[in-house]
Amino acid sequence: MNLKRDWPGYLWAVGATTACTLVGLEMIGRFDLVNIAMVYMLAVVVIALRFSRGPAVATSVLSVAAFDLAFVPPRGTFTVHDVQYLLTFAIMLAVGLVISHLVDKIRSQAAARAALEIETETERIRSALLASISHDLRTPLAVMSGASSTLAERGERLSPDERAALAKSVFTQSVEMSQHVANVLQMARLETGDIKLERDWVALTEITSSVLERLSERLAEHRLLLDLPSDLPLVRVNASLIEQALGNLLENATKHTPAGTVVRLRARREGDELVVSVEDFGPGLPPGDLERLFAKFQRGSAEGSGGGIGLGLAICRAIVRLHGGRAWAERMPAGGAAFRFTLPIEKAPPLPPESPNE
Amino acid sequence: MSEARPTILIVEDEGEIRRFLRTALSAEGYQVVESGSARRGAVDAGTHKPDLAIIDLALPDLDGVEVIRRIRAWSPMPIIVLSARVHEQSKIEALDAGADDYVTKPFGVGELLARVRAALRHAARSGAGTHLLQFENATIDLHKRSATREGQAVHLTPIEFRLLACLAKHLGMVVTHRQLLTEVWGPTHDRDTHYLRIYMKQLREKLERDPVRPRHLITETGVGYRLVVDGES
Repeated sequence: MNLKRDWPGYLWAVGATTACTLVGLEMIGRFDLVNIAMVYMLAVVVIALRFSRGPAVATSVLSVAAFDLAFVPPRGTFTVHDVQYLLTFAIMLAVGLVISHLVDKIRSQAAARAALEIETETERIRSALLASISHDLRTPLAVMSGASSTLAERGERLSPDERAALAKSVFTQSVEMSQHVANVLQMARLETGDIKLERDWVALTEITSSVLERLSERLAEHRLLLDLPSDLPLVRVNASLIEQALGNLLENATKHTPAGTVVRLRARREGDELVVSVEDFGPGLPPGDLERLFAKFQRGSAEGSGGGIGLGLAICRAIVRLHGGRAWAERMPAGGAAFRFTLPIEKAPPLPPESPNE
Repeated sequence: MSEARPTILIVEDEGEIRRFLRTALSAEGYQVVESGSARRGAVDAGTHKPDLAIIDLALPDLDGVEVIRRIRAWSPMPIIVLSARVHEQSKIEALDAGADDYVTKPFGVGELLARVRAALRHAARSGAGTHLLQFENATIDLHKRSATREGQAVHLTPIEFRLLACLAKHLGMVVTHRQLLTEVWGPTHDRDTHYLRIYMKQLREKLERDPVRPRHLITETGVGYRLVVDGES
């Protein structure tokens, strides 16, 4: 019993008993005393259902006392002449106890079930993480150890072209792998809130330039259309994080659409928000809830080859939310997919003065 | 500038990383001196007087930034730092402490060698900078304060010239937001990064062929800017 936690319950107990007494006083003369007892019983049941055991017992006791004092002859005293009312009291008390006990039991079962669900979900994420790590990290590791040991042990028997190709694949696989590791670490940091959001005034065009430079190889096989008005306002964000969010969307688009198709990057000012979209003209999104795409370890395609660890969209959303924006997916009318996010536009800072004399 | 083969000091505690750096740098014709710790590196910099130092920021015995400060106390030798991606702040700290450029781990050796070449060239110019900047289809003369694009004169404002001059002084190397703001607008404006965004946008629109994919006025996200001209890097 915790008085500090349950005090609203006890207040309700007093209130309910008082209310019942007032109702009972209206009823007296027209109804049997037993029916007035029923009104109190109702209060006991309600309080027991709504609050914990303490307030329920308190309601029972208060009801018995009030009923005795106000209605049981001789009225105005706690004396009881008719023994049958003692039974009424006992039943009121018992009902209060039984119901509050039942409610407590149901509540603790519900809590246990919720905890179990969280545990199952955690377990699911953990096993998904292990599965994707074992796939996405083992594959590049296998390539790297295979290619590099071939170079080390058989290198002299290979042509220069073959040697160069093996060495190159060690390099590309290691870049791939470090990207995966960075994603896992980034997600962990975003989830534990272990990120200091250092914001600066940034031009989206500059972020775009950096992303295009970083992903130039990956984007080479697609036709990229840029639709960035030159008068876009500056946004106050962490440039590195937003670069990552946008990069994840672009990488995603190239991964899930055939080579040669168009990927369109556009930005618009809509009210006090900047809306950034990556639209593709690929096979489109799977049927069902689009929100699922933003869950961790969710892969767009079932086979998952080259699909990454399935953190890209989850990271994008976490970063955007950190900045007070939203991220969502849409089906394009033409059949492709669109991923959009918003960033709040703040009041622009004062402009620099151009020094007149020089 | 005494020897034909420049000497490069590597301060890095991971033996495997030292190994491939040594191999790659030797193959390029540089002489290599290795230090496995920060204290050792600070001493080696004094005894070997290298032409350039490559310093890992995450050293076990002392912060890499401290090594930079100790070297900067007596030498203007070019310093390139190696940093992990997660430590953006320490990268900026190192640059503001006097490092000339950085490479983020993991990196390809081509990127590192390009930085090394740019930094050595910078040292050879001994801070004089370049006054003639050749862009893809534009030319800027910082002395005459004139610019042309495809033969046509382009008007640049005094601030735009100052910004270009500041970048040109560190040609091919990164210049932090703080350095640019302090040099162009003064120390009271060292947090006003929006000034840079606005002026870099203007400069790119005036001088770059494709302002969204600049080839010369390069953004180093979260760190600063880098000026790259034709024939360099």
